Amino acid sequence: MTTTVQMPQAQPEETPPKASSGTWRRFRKEPLGMIALVVLAVLVFAAVAAPWLADYPTGYGDRVLEGPSGAHWFGTDSLGLDVFAEVVWGARQSLLVAAAASLIAIVFGTLLAVVGAYFKRVDAVVGVIVDLTLSLPVLPLMILVAALVGPSTVTIIFVIAAFSWPEVTRVVRSQALSVVRMPYVDAARLMTSSPAWIIRRHVVPAVMPLILVSVVLTASRAVLSAAGLAFLGLGDPNTWSWGRILYEAQQAGAMSTAWWLPLFPSLAIFLLVLAATMLSTAYNDARNPRRNR
Amino acid sequence: MRSTRVITAAALSAALALGACAPEAPQSGGGTGGGQEVTDATLTIATTTDVVNYNPLVGNSRSDYWITNLMYPHLLSIGEDGEKEPELAKEWGYVDDTTGFYELESGLTWSDGKPLTAKDVAYTLNAVKRDAPAGTLYGQLSNFDTATAVSDTRVEVKLTKPDASVIPEIGFWGNVVPQHVFEPAGSVAKFANDGSDGGWVSAGPYVLTDVQRGQSYTLERKDDYPLVEGGKPKAAKVVYRVFPDVNTEILSLKNGDVDVIANSLPPAQVKELQNTEGVTVQEVPGLGYAHMTYNMTKPDLAKTDVRLALAHAVDYEAIRRVVLQDQAVSTGSSPIMPVLKQYYDDSIKEYEHNPEKSRELLDDAGYKANSEDKYPLSFRLIYSLQDPVTTQWATLVKDGAAEAGITIELQGLERNAYLAKTDAGDFDIYAGNFAIMDDPATNMSLTYLPGGAINYSYVDDPELTKLIQQAQVTFERDEQVPILQEAAKKVRDNVYDNVMYTQNLYVAHRSDWSGFTVKPSELLSIVNPISVASATKSE
Repeated sequence: MTTTVQMPQAQPEETPPKASSGTWRRFRKEPLGMIALVVLAVLVFAAVAAPWLADYPTGYGDRVLEGPSGAHWFGTDSLGLDVFAEVVWGARQSLLVAAAASLIAIVFGTLLAVVGAYFKRVDAVVGVIVDLTLSLPVLPLMILVAALVGPSTVTIIFVIAAFSWPEVTRVVRSQALSVVRMPYVDAARLMTSSPAWIIRRHVVPAVMPLILVSVVLTASRAVLSAAGLAFLGLGDPNTWSWGRILYEAQQAGAMSTAWWLPLFPSLAIFLLVLAATMLSTAYNDARNPRRNR
Repeated sequence: MRSTRVITAAALSAALALGACAPEAPQSGGGTGGGQEVTDATLTIATTTDVVNYNPLVGNSRSDYWITNLMYPHLLSIGEDGEKEPELAKEWGYVDDTTGFYELESGLTWSDGKPLTAKDVAYTLNAVKRDAPAGTLYGQLSNFDTATAVSDTRVEVKLTKPDASVIPEIGFWGNVVPQHVFEPAGSVAKFANDGSDGGWVSAGPYVLTDVQRGQSYTLERKDDYPLVEGGKPKAAKVVYRVFPDVNTEILSLKNGDVDVIANSLPPAQVKELQNTEGVTVQEVPGLGYAHMTYNMTKPDLAKTDVRLALAHAVDYEAIRRVVLQDQAVSTGSSPIMPVLKQYYDDSIKEYEHNPEKSRELLDDAGYKANSEDKYPLSFRLIYSLQDPVTTQWATLVKDGAAEAGITIELQGLERNAYLAKTDAGDFDIYAGNFAIMDDPATNMSLTYLPGGAINYSYVDDPELTKLIQQAQVTFERDEQVPILQEAAKKVRDNVYDNVMYTQNLYVAHRSDWSGFTVKPSELLSIVNPISVASATKSE
């Protein structure tokens, strides 16, 4: 009896380091995954090192709407500000929103998923709420909420998180459902009467890889949503973000004449989303080598 | 009695964004069109908004005004300096202090064949007074009692008390609607006039015949329109096409898909389009101003020194040079703009951009800067996101205030939320603009009298109130001007309002079209009815 109880207990503690080191070994052999990782690292570096890379774009400059040059690598906008500086500082805001919104969505979404998977009665309610939220027209609702509450970074983060968690819940729940039916979870129930302990020690670790993939994908979707909202004028007007650069270019009617204004922030968004998607795919393949080979 | 003295005032709140149109004798507008005139051409005009209201007495969006103004004429028109000009009314004025009159052009008809008479005019005014539709015309009727058609071409207006500006005001802001269509529909405040009951009836140069929401509005020529040269509009059709934004409008104009962009161009695009072959850019004189008001119900902003400190922290010259590309003129921080030549006082000077002075003012007022040189002052500035120019300079205002140690938090709002917050006084600093501020006496009564419709600074200064009220009942301009100038100086010195500039607008059209008549403001510009009816296309 004791052995059967101890076995599953030991398993999750011992296997993760093994599994993760194997995953990392296989991941390094995925060229696309490594490229994606480098791209993301560069973007994160730009965000963190923004103060050393460029002065914060503020005030105005006298050279309005000038194309890329040695002095202004990405050209200038309709206020004469340096677009390179805007993109670099915009990376901060965009990544902050992505990280914060996906963190909230992941924590909340995972919590609901595992609790739902563990308690059958709660599951029905969670399932209905998730289905209901997933069927809502997300963008119009985001616009409505952002417009009513007023644009600010905090609003944007919460609005995006509020509409991102159901996806996480749905994905994590399906995995968690199969985990709670595993014999070692049944065995754990004999060990303790605390569901919280079982969920923390057994269910969450089992769905962790899925959560990691979700974090990256949710974050990249959050960047897109944030850029979309900012492009509609619902971003934080006090901070630079990639969406705000696009929005101001559109407002100034400069989209058709100053190609550098929409190009560089769009490129940044494109790279981030593409890299995030490739990274999560590569990670998934590395973690589960049998799936695609 | 006071013959046709034109005392006008029309404060156009950004909130209401009201327009007026006024035919006058056509002049040749810009354009390089040579060659053979195309007969029965179609004039395609680009706009960015759909029509919200087809009832001109309610009106809301720009498109509402541009399209309804082609169907429902105004009594009076306006010149570049704010002076009123004849349109449907050829003469107007006062019989005595409390009776005004309009003498109408004869021979105008509605598109269903019924004549347009003084009865339509009297009906429109009385119905607006009775039903109070949410438009600027109703706002002008506070001293209006009743209108009576004394003959087919003469309307007399009874006033409740003497008011030197009400006759030109009503004439300029009011559209005339057909009594035989609007009266059976009941309240003019509720009538949709959406053509669902057999189409529209027009006394303008064109009549709306087809609506594709989100896409286009087609108007067809009305064959007799005596206010245009030759008595018949030149283009057979006018089509308003709806575009998602100004970028797509500009592309379509360059491609030749549209002939005119009705919205004014973003300042940074003017030069580019001036150098584009096949496109003509036309300057439209401004008759309004952009400004900031400081909400004086807030304890800090109630102090003159704090308002002065804020005013000195703004780099007005940079805003006009960079954001407006030098397409704007300073008003000397006075609510009376230089374009109103008869009233302008050039001895009133603009607030100097001097953040150091701002700091001195705050120190003297007892505020203490912290270790980071920041004062414990933080204000929320609201503006409309649909107003790209204000959106741009709002950041310059914020940066300037930061230099003076004052924190400004920007709150750009969707237009309706902005209007709601403006009306509720839910702001510290308001940034916006008025399209037409043509008569100082009326403008000041609306902006600076306690309870005034657009008194966004909530100013209540008994001395200023007295000056404005005195100006309102002073019929002779020579006596009125010094009173108004004294009031303007008071406004400037106490920062009851921070008027920043008058913007001169630019609109663009294809060069093969010519004959447009330019009128002040974006609402009239080259899409006023006379201009549209006079435009011709050459091969």
